[in-house]
Amino acid sequence: MASANSTRNANLHDVELCALAATGDRRAFEELVRRHGSTVRALLRRMGASPALADDIGQDAFIAAFEQIADFRGEGAFAGWVRRIAARAYLRRMRRDRRLVELVSEEAEAMVQPGLTPDGRIDLDEGLKSLNPVERLCVTLCYGAGVSHAEAAEALNLPLGTVKSHVKRGLDKLRARLDPESANSDARRGNG
Amino acid sequence: MAEIDFERRLDRLFAEAPTFTDEAQFAAGVSRRLDRGWRTRSWMIGAAGLAGGLVGVSQLVMGDVLQRVEAARGSISILRDSALHIRPLAEWLEPLLNGGGTVWIAAALAVVMLGFAVTRVIEEI
Repeated sequence: MASANSTRNANLHDVELCALAATGDRRAFEELVRRHGSTVRALLRRMGASPALADDIGQDAFIAAFEQIADFRGEGAFAGWVRRIAARAYLRRMRRDRRLVELVSEEAEAMVQPGLTPDGRIDLDEGLKSLNPVERLCVTLCYGAGVSHAEAAEALNLPLGTVKSHVKRGLDKLRARLDPESANSDARRGNG
Repeated sequence: MAEIDFERRLDRLFAEAPTFTDEAQFAAGVSRRLDRGWRTRSWMIGAAGLAGGLVGVSQLVMGDVLQRVEAARGSISILRDSALHIRPLAEWLEPLLNGGGTVWIAAALAVVMLGFAVTRVIEEI
């Protein structure tokens, strides 16, 4: 019976699984966790959480998602919705541990040199390491969790303009790492 | 590459999560925590039901119910006589008023509640 349910769930769309989970179907929700667990954990690690902390907050986020699943209207993707829950949970944890203020006021440049993937490219995770913590947090919040600049500013207790600057600087650095040729040609056009 | 293209590429890169080798363990951890939460909630509901049932029964048993029933019987018959003078009562109320039945119905409901609570606890065990 459980195996039949698992097979059925594996073939269902996220929206259908959410509808089943909203009726209390735990197996349907477990399928959603299997599908999107990695995305959530990766986002939290990209925001700067250690692997253990990312797993802990990721689990909290999924439990919160299960409790609030009836509020999920299916207007966006489930993955995006749960990523936003996870990002907010991470910020709450940072605030509770009094590390958020320290992090957003940190202006030191990250000194990590990004490593290359086997095919010689720099991947996103390595590129993010070249950003300082607050730039990394702002970029990840806005592009990874789909949070607006205004929401990020509110969550980080920073002025909107400051968040926009951090995002802009972070994007420029990432672009220089991930797509150096295009970044250079754009810079030349800007100078010329 | 235009900035907008780069932003789209970034969105895509963020959406493509790496595969973790311990995905199954993570999912099992979430299930375990959901189970634990559900079990705790069930225990709390069961305990509240049990406590409520016990309080209800103890209030009925310890609160001189029988003496009160006896004392109330006189008042009830006076009330009944008065009420019958005002307008006739439905027949089904007669036995209740005569026997102090409301108290016993309340006691029976409390016992049923207690039964539910005990059933829930047994199910959990």
